[in-house]
Amino acid sequence: MTGTSKITRYAIVYSVLSAATFVSIFPFYWMIVGATNTSAEIVKGKTSFGGNLLANIERLLEQVDLGRVFLNSAGLAVAGTLLTLLVSSLAGYGFEMFRSRIRERIFALLLLLLSVPFAALMVPLFIMVSSAGLANTFVAVVLPSIASIFIIFYFRQATKAFPGELRDAARIDGLREWQIFLHVYMPAMRSTYAAATIIVFMMSWNNFLWPLIVLQTPEHKTITLVISALTSAYTPDFGVILVATILATLPTLVLFFVLQRQFVAGMLGSVK
Amino acid sequence: MKKLSTRWGSAFGCLVIGAGMMASASASELTVWCWDPDFNVPAMQDAAARYTKLHPDVKITVNNIAQNDIKQKLQTQLLANVTDGLPDIVLIQDDNAQRFLQGFPAAFEPLSDAIDLKKFAPYKVAAATYNGKSYSVPFDSGVTGLFYRSDYLAAAGYKPADLQDITWDQLIKIGKDVKAKTGHDFFDLDFNEAGLVRAMMQSAGKWFFTADGQLDIIDNAPLKAALETYSKLWKADIVKPVSGWSAYTGAFTSGDVAAVASGAWMTGTIKGSPDQSGKWGVAPLPKLDGIEGATHYSNWGGSSWYVFSSSKQKTTATDFLNTVWAGDIDFYQGILINQGAVGSLLAAREGAAYKASDPFFGGAPVWENFSNWLGQIPSVDYGTFTQEVNSAIQAQLPSIAKGGSVDEALKAINDRVSQQIQ
Repeated sequence: MTGTSKITRYAIVYSVLSAATFVSIFPFYWMIVGATNTSAEIVKGKTSFGGNLLANIERLLEQVDLGRVFLNSAGLAVAGTLLTLLVSSLAGYGFEMFRSRIRERIFALLLLLLSVPFAALMVPLFIMVSSAGLANTFVAVVLPSIASIFIIFYFRQATKAFPGELRDAARIDGLREWQIFLHVYMPAMRSTYAAATIIVFMMSWNNFLWPLIVLQTPEHKTITLVISALTSAYTPDFGVILVATILATLPTLVLFFVLQRQFVAGMLGSVK
Repeated sequence: MKKLSTRWGSAFGCLVIGAGMMASASASELTVWCWDPDFNVPAMQDAAARYTKLHPDVKITVNNIAQNDIKQKLQTQLLANVTDGLPDIVLIQDDNAQRFLQGFPAAFEPLSDAIDLKKFAPYKVAAATYNGKSYSVPFDSGVTGLFYRSDYLAAAGYKPADLQDITWDQLIKIGKDVKAKTGHDFFDLDFNEAGLVRAMMQSAGKWFFTADGQLDIIDNAPLKAALETYSKLWKADIVKPVSGWSAYTGAFTSGDVAAVASGAWMTGTIKGSPDQSGKWGVAPLPKLDGIEGATHYSNWGGSSWYVFSSSKQKTTATDFLNTVWAGDIDFYQGILINQGAVGSLLAAREGAAYKASDPFFGGAPVWENFSNWLGQIPSVDYGTFTQEVNSAIQAQLPSIAKGGSVDEALKAINDRVSQQIQ
């Protein structure tokens, strides 16, 4: 009796999990298979590998200066990630560690700002950026994102688990506040930083709307802008688009696998 | 004030530096924004090559940016009143033009004084006319046609002549016969695309607005007739429902459905399956039944070139458009053959490529037909709120397809749009 009910339970669990796996894996499979087929085959719904991969890659290289585009995207994402982590983690640390009467009010105000959609900020932000003479520069892409409220919030929550004794001990050893942050806090929060790295890198690598508005010349194009331009054809070449999509997915994928263990630990909020 | 003075400061700086390198003073550089790497971009590049051959000191750069991205960039920049980084020439789709012209009248350079726009199809010029001036050099025409599989129709006993000068009701009857004989649906339709309804309505010389710009939905007879025809198509059970552009084009290019009503630009997509050569035909659009002023000619899509008034090179830009786009007949033959682009310059149809017959379409003079229809498309005023009405119509399409009341749908469309545009 218990045997059969156990089997039924397993059957249900596994079929639900299999369905979920299929739903998450299939788009990837479709992307990879599509990159090897012609546009006509993709439209007809062919789900097996074809022999058109090289031709698709060739046509992509004809249309796009891929090296330049990748350099732009990578430069923006790396610079954006480093600066965001530095500035936002410092803010998160500060909010938790330093007491002040208006601390909670400022923090509540920040969280409230999270609900303002970017589309509403875009025009004023563009006016600010262009009157500062920064339109069509990479600085303009990175600058507005480095004080990320979400990451500040994330670091403040994680800092709650940072033992105050460590800070006290460091003070007794004669470290200044910035040295404590740099030499004690940052190494101790390694996994939090790793998780935040993945999140921020993904956000800035996939960033579309703001770079679209602020970058004007083809030399500045990022991979997301290139894919958007490829899809704009009246007869889109889906094979080429999927090759570009695979290339655009790879960096975040690699980064995730490299930092996977720390990411999980960071999400669980542990301090080592 | 401070901003102004720094600007003057940097202008002065530039002048000093510029004086130092006088050699390159006469060279000018034009930038163009447009979309579609297979259509608009190569056509513009061809035009640029022709102009720079005549004027070697001009350099023209064509940037491929998606249509929605161009709209987004223009909207933000013009709202922010920042013209830095805008190109000299931009491509805008006709039914979207009035939104920009009326919203930002000073942003675009009127071209009707410098270029003789009478040389173009009148309905294209009308789409870009605001306050008595026209702001664009018309490019591709979305002149509509009914593309059909002649082999499927022959199997049901119909000849190409049977599709000439018919009404939508007659076409539906033909569609039913084709389905009975061949098993193929006649059309495929996507609820997220109301283009067919718009094309039917324009074929009777009507759009969503009255002459003074008021919303005209409830008593709009051509719109009502178009929606009723849409409903009849579904009721006749000759429509395959599809979702998304690739499924939409896939259905007729794979031979799943027998026909598609669309703009001339669809030719390239249809000819993308060379194995179907000789099995296709093109007829004029059927007429709406019982509507005064109904014709066989309409438009679906199509766009035009605009010059920004902020451009430092606007004289060169205008001269470029005037020389090639408003004058070079031979250029139009090239983009017709290479990109399948039907231009709006009426004289272009006298060229050899337009006269040629196409074996893909059973040897018919497809392009000559399209260009003859082009001159007869009724002009309508696309107004500023076409997009709002269009999405309100889309929202009603599923219920109309299920046989819901057209009058109620018109009321719902009217309510939704009036609320939005108050």
